[in-house]
Amino acid sequence: MHLPWRWLLTITCAVSCSQAQANGWNMPVGVTDLSRDIYNLHMTIFWICVVIGLIVFGAMFYSLYRYRHAKGAKPANFHENTTVEVLWTAIPILILIGMAVPATATLKKMYDTSDADLDVMIIGQQWRWRYEYLGEDVAFNSNMSTPWEQIHGEEEHGEHYLLDVDEPLVLPINRKVRFLMTADDVIHSWWVPELAVKQDTIPGFINENWVKINEPGIYRGQCAELCGVNHGFMPVVVHAMEEEEFDSWLAERKEAQEQEAMGVDREWELDDLMARGESVYRAICSSCHQSEGQGALPAFPALANNQPMIDDFDWHLDVVINGVSGAAMPAFRSTLNPVELAAVVTYTRNAWGNDTGDVVQPALVAEKIAQ
Amino acid sequence: MWSVVKSVLAALIGVQSNVKRQQDFSSGKPLIFIVTAIVITLVFVLILVGVALVAAR
Amino acid sequence: MAPKLPPQHPLQHSSTVVADGQSHDAHSAHPKGVMRWLLTTNHKEIGSLYLIFSLIMFFIGGIFALVVRAELFQPGLQLVEPEFFNQMTTMHGLIMVFAAVMPAFTGLANWMIPLQIGAPDMALPRLNNFSFWLLPVAFTLLLSTLLMPGGGPNFGWTFYAPLSTTYAPPSTTFFILALHIAGISSILGAINIVATILNMRAPGMRMMDMPLFVWTWLITAFLLIAVMPVLAGLITMMLMDINFGTSFFDAAGGGDPVLFQHLFWFFGHPEVYIMILPAFGIVSAIIPTFARKPLFGYASMVYATAAIALLSFLVWAHHMFVVGLPLAAELFFMYSTMLIAVPTGVKVFNWVTTLFRGSISFESPMLFALAFVVLFTIGGFSGLMLAIAPADFQYHDTYFVVAHFHYVLVPGAIFAIMAGVYYWLPKWTGHYPNEKLAQCHFWCSIIGVNLTFFPMHFAGLAGMPRRIPDYALQFADFNMLSSIGAFFFGVSQLIFVLVVVLCVRGGKKAPAKAWEGAEDLEWSVPSPAPLHTFETPPVFNRTQSSD
Ligand code: HEM
Ligand SMILES: [Cu+2]
Ligand SMILES: [Cu+2]
Repeated sequence: MHLPWRWLLTITCAVSCSQAQANGWNMPVGVTDLSRDIYNLHMTIFWICVVIGLIVFGAMFYSLYRYRHAKGAKPANFHENTTVEVLWTAIPILILIGMAVPATATLKKMYDTSDADLDVMIIGQQWRWRYEYLGEDVAFNSNMSTPWEQIHGEEEHGEHYLLDVDEPLVLPINRKVRFLMTADDVIHSWWVPELAVKQDTIPGFINENWVKINEPGIYRGQCAELCGVNHGFMPVVVHAMEEEEFDSWLAERKEAQEQEAMGVDREWELDDLMARGESVYRAICSSCHQSEGQGALPAFPALANNQPMIDDFDWHLDVVINGVSGAAMPAFRSTLNPVELAAVVTYTRNAWGNDTGDVVQPALVAEKIAQ
Repeated sequence: MWSVVKSVLAALIGVQSNVKRQQDFSSGKPLIFIVTAIVITLVFVLILVGVALVAAR
Repeated sequence: MAPKLPPQHPLQHSSTVVADGQSHDAHSAHPKGVMRWLLTTNHKEIGSLYLIFSLIMFFIGGIFALVVRAELFQPGLQLVEPEFFNQMTTMHGLIMVFAAVMPAFTGLANWMIPLQIGAPDMALPRLNNFSFWLLPVAFTLLLSTLLMPGGGPNFGWTFYAPLSTTYAPPSTTFFILALHIAGISSILGAINIVATILNMRAPGMRMMDMPLFVWTWLITAFLLIAVMPVLAGLITMMLMDINFGTSFFDAAGGGDPVLFQHLFWFFGHPEVYIMILPAFGIVSAIIPTFARKPLFGYASMVYATAAIALLSFLVWAHHMFVVGLPLAAELFFMYSTMLIAVPTGVKVFNWVTTLFRGSISFESPMLFALAFVVLFTIGGFSGLMLAIAPADFQYHDTYFVVAHFHYVLVPGAIFAIMAGVYYWLPKWTGHYPNEKLAQCHFWCSIIGVNLTFFPMHFAGLAGMPRRIPDYALQFADFNMLSSIGAFFFGVSQLIFVLVVVLCVRGGKKAPAKAWEGAEDLEWSVPSPAPLHTFETPPVFNRTQSSD
């Protein structure tokens, strides 16, 4: 590595690492090798700017003080000096080259997604994250769990106000995890400062990024790209575990998901579907269609007392499964499983006075999806 | 020709002396300067692309 | 250069003195009242119209910003819903960029370019009138979208697709139309400025004798002509996607949302330089005046401006470091962005060296110009940090970026505009602005600006994303400071209005050469500048310029 750069790093770290760590003023050093590299780049360029700033502003304020008109300063009449001008062009260029070298090296590391131990698909949706552990048959949605009562000031703010989710992304430490990132509707951006991963998730594209976490812990971040009204309310939470712990978590998750799949063939009672449907509605649908199904025109139609929907059962089911093209209503066929779909359709057909008495069985939904 | 190239390079980094500038502006052939500047800009872009490609390997 | 005379009644013709091919009676039948302003083709009157329009829009955009800051004063949602919050951030950005900063510079150009090059008016006076009157139309339309069902634009001033197409409110078509009209106005204004500068300089004034404000505006005008059509194309593609079933930016139809960003920033980055180059020109006029010493490197300044303008076409993807560009592209844009800091640095060094061994006094225009140098440079430093691509993965779309561009735009562009207004008010009105009030305005603005925007650096580094209506508890202190600063800054701007109004109505009389160290041609006409100046071209005296 280049010697001067090493030196600068040592100095900057000595000055700042110790106090700047996660004190809420500076970029976090983070918990990966890369996040540390990035932090060091950040501090190096910062100190370079500080030094240049001190010189330039020093010269400026000296001149302002020393050559005051009020003190009777007589203006000199010099201008132009090619040597000076060449110097003040050449020196910055050299500094910049010195900066570009480590920056290039770090960037190349960030782009090296090869040889991953685990692939996780991250899908941005208005307004939640969906995580799919590729090849493991484990997938779930991660919604903000901070209650709206807190946001509207009816309750005390919790400790992790706005940064809590119902189900965090669980990752192992010490393994290289590759992220494949895309979005279903608009552009979102998945960001966890402590992991130094920020990557846009773009409909129609699959971006790659990776992380290898050094320390177990819970790391929080937020969506970083404006994605509509609830952009401020789609946090990211990563729970990093020891490897064995992660393996058993994954096995457990897998089993639970299989259990759920078996539920598809079972005959469900209305009350069970309603209970399940309400929680799905809360987590997924209410951000647009509102908590009491009253909707928010013109974009989001009401579901309560929506006569066309009540009258046309097939259409209702189709819209939930396949979405409405050209409108904000997404297709939920891959986001929700048949049980959840059946439950939420049942719920919306019976809640808020829609009282149709319809019971939608997961088996029927599974059949529709297969078509 | 070399002096034209030198002037254009000086322009690129934003350094030029008044004397040289007087000469350039009294040469009466702005077209030469403009064409050279465009060529040098293209070359500059190509060099930068080259550097980026090499660095990315 | 004599304009063709309009056909005239022979009797009238014989009764007027025609000097230097200029007819005086062409101006004599002035309409009165509103019609005078609607029909005016006089560069000074149109300049004033632009400036007044821009000031009004500055306050409207400012009120939107204060709505945003009020909501962000504390964690939690107190005043507005997220939907309206997004409309406020979007409108604030659009109004400030397109209706406040850009028209202010065009207004200054209208007033000062003819005076600085010794021309009687702009080259195309009727076009000039048209360019201006398009603006109130465009922005009335844009503001009216706030009242439409579904609300106004809510997708940020960068209006990324598909949030601004498939997922946009119905009013978006009007937003597009408004932007088209504003764009046409900018292009026409730019064409007029280029035509004026190239054709109407006083005899003997060569390009390299032009004041820097004229130079920077010439280069800015070329940038405008180059990139406004890109913006127009982009919003037309959006229009097609929204209304005619195309899929330029809709992935489901085979379109490409990233293409949108490439097009937007190919316009957008030169656009940010459009908002700063004329500011460089103003500061380069004021600093030598109050340091009583010529600019250190006039030629270098011109060349650096040209270099910045050229490079500005090569750096657009530094706004897109996290969209997943290939590694080589990422490196290219990182290197080119770092390079653009060099000519920017050259400018700052030149200003500082101009101060060195000068004889410096601190009137209000100078105070604003000096604050510009310091605070713009701070914005340049954060720009340099943002240029480091790996680090930008952490900075991007956080309040750190918000801090960066507000440092270059508020104490940058807007302070330069105010410096210019204080500098040229004596020429416009014949009176000096009230110095006590102006200084008070200055100190309040300085405190307000830094209190508002400096804490944003910390909020961003600590992890606060931009464009959110509510935030986690660890960002509370920074936001409270910013909000207090913003209200203080906002209220301070009323002092500015007061100074300008008082100055128009009276004050200490200013002579033709209102500032001891001022050298350019505008100071050779009386103060206040009469409606018609330089009807006989002045003889340009070369020793006035840098050499
Ligand atoms: C030394 C010169 C500069 C450099 C190296 C620089 C660099 C950058 C970079 C890399 C970004 C993108 C940050 C991100 O989104 O992650 C950015 C954003 C921005 N810069 Fe600069 N900048 C410079 C000067 C300026 C100037 C002079 C202006 C305008 C007067 C300006 C206005 C902006 C604006 C408006 C944005 C944000 C746009 C948005 O996302 O809304 N910058 N700058
Ligand atoms: Cu978002
Ligand atoms: Cu830019």
